[in-house]
Amino acid sequence: MENNTLLKVNDIHTFIGQFHILQGVSVEIPKGKIVSLLGRNGAGKTTTLKSILGLAPPTQGQVILDGEEIQGRRSYDIANMGIGFVPEHRAIFRDLSVHENLLIAERKKGDLEKKEELIFSLFPDLKRLIKLPGTNLSGGQQQMLAVARALVPDNKLLLIDEPSEGLAPVLIEQMMEAIRQLSAESTVLLVEQNFIVASQLAESYVIIEEGHSVKSGKMVDLAADPETIHRYLEAA
Amino acid sequence: MENTSPSPTRQNSFSDFFKGNRGILITILLLGLLPFILALFDGQPISSLLANDPGKSKFYQGLAIEIFILAIYALSYDLLLGITGLLSFGHAMFFGVGAYLTGIMLKSFGWSLLPILGLVAVAGVVMALIFSIVLPRVKGITFALVTLGIAQVFYIVIQSRELVNYAGAEIGLQGVTPPEFLNPISHRLRFYYIGLVAVFVVYFILKRFVDSPTGHVCVAIRENEDRATMLGYNTFYFKLAALMLSGIVAALAGAMHGLFSPIIRPGIASSHYTIAVLLMILMGGIGTLDGALIGAATFRLLSFWLEKWFGGASQVIIGLVYILLVLFLPYGIVGTWKLRGYKVKQGWVDLIERFTGKKQET
Repeated sequence: MENNTLLKVNDIHTFIGQFHILQGVSVEIPKGKIVSLLGRNGAGKTTTLKSILGLAPPTQGQVILDGEEIQGRRSYDIANMGIGFVPEHRAIFRDLSVHENLLIAERKKGDLEKKEELIFSLFPDLKRLIKLPGTNLSGGQQQMLAVARALVPDNKLLLIDEPSEGLAPVLIEQMMEAIRQLSAESTVLLVEQNFIVASQLAESYVIIEEGHSVKSGKMVDLAADPETIHRYLEAA
Repeated sequence: MENTSPSPTRQNSFSDFFKGNRGILITILLLGLLPFILALFDGQPISSLLANDPGKSKFYQGLAIEIFILAIYALSYDLLLGITGLLSFGHAMFFGVGAYLTGIMLKSFGWSLLPILGLVAVAGVVMALIFSIVLPRVKGITFALVTLGIAQVFYIVIQSRELVNYAGAEIGLQGVTPPEFLNPISHRLRFYYIGLVAVFVVYFILKRFVDSPTGHVCVAIRENEDRATMLGYNTFYFKLAALMLSGIVAALAGAMHGLFSPIIRPGIASSHYTIAVLLMILMGGIGTLDGALIGAATFRLLSFWLEKWFGGASQVIIGLVYILLVLFLPYGIVGTWKLRGYKVKQGWVDLIERFTGKKQET
């Protein structure tokens, strides 16, 4: 069982400024699966991602990737170990073209060339827009580009933060399809407010509330448990 | 390599290069002809022009050379602030070191020009390394203030009594004899063309840098450093690269100033001179490179003509012009042109509001 775990977050505590945001979060992600982090706004989901990435280093606890402790390392080193990050709010580079946005994500020369086919089959729109500057893209297209960028290098693990936020329903469908295909290639930790989206994508879940991971298990069990959903996820 | 990438965005062939840089190439051509056009209007025969006889053409060549020097200086600052997003308030130090080093090595040590230019470039790198000590620790305005502090130390040192025999203290460094072939009085036309070539060589080098993978990372750092880090880039090295390239270019601009101007004044190393270059790229359009050229020309020509017409009152009028530029062309001349969004109406509304204190209906 142990050697099947790609990432293990073990009881981490993280401060942002003077605020004790994470007060004991544990997440375990098996290889090749999609795990969803659930919880209300401000529960600490994004901070958990930032702690894994070293952008907000945890002060306590361990982050173990493939059996190696990575907490406290520099962010770019962590990224280079094979973690791709899709931040929330369509985090592309607006002054670079679509092509440049993809090219900049290469870790070694030729990465983009190898993944081109996959990326354009997931997001056919991007092929048409390849020369446009990022700032000319619509919100949905920017989100596609942000996900596509994380696909360029070979990543063991993708951290995706709120991919469906602010997208039109038809685009959410497309995004879900893309993430589903992705999980065939890579392991995904998905932060998602939209429970319907999360429940259709992820095999298992971790619920975070007020900086603690309070519940985890199989997604099918959660979907059949309206009481837990009501208690932790629906607007209070 | 090119045809395998999703779309060949690079311009490779000569005709593409010409198309992409049409405006710049026409500008180079016009500037190349400028001394002759001026001589023509002034009724000066070509032979007299080539002999560098005094006249309108020679005078304006001098003004143009000053603009070329400022343009190189502005290009270097645009690379730092406009492309990489590093706000430095100590950029004048690079210019000052270039100018003083050139003057001192010529006057006191009798070096010849090429080794001096090499030394100046090395000095640019060394200063960039000094600035970079604090680079991983401080960001934004804190970095600006640290650089201001370092540059002010240099500004004070250069005026010190102890160095009076070398740097001339607060009066400035006088009596530097540039090499005869580059004498700005007797060979001004040659100096003009060398300056013209230098500006556009620097321009195309920096443009190439911005279009390179390294340049793209610099743009990414300006937009969002965390995102660039998350792609696996150690942003420190990229900021250092931009700082070094910018430092070399600014120091070489200073060296040109040292060769051209009869007195190297300490003012060129002061914070005023950093503010001046900031104004140039804000006027021209930040982060555009073309804007640095336009901004430098606008800056120098404005102060020249306004001083000529209004004398002492020109400072007030220059201030007014800056305010109008900010109101009507908030992204600078080139930036606003690229956006094609002239905020003329909004500018008027703001202006009327400011004077009447009343909100206007738009």
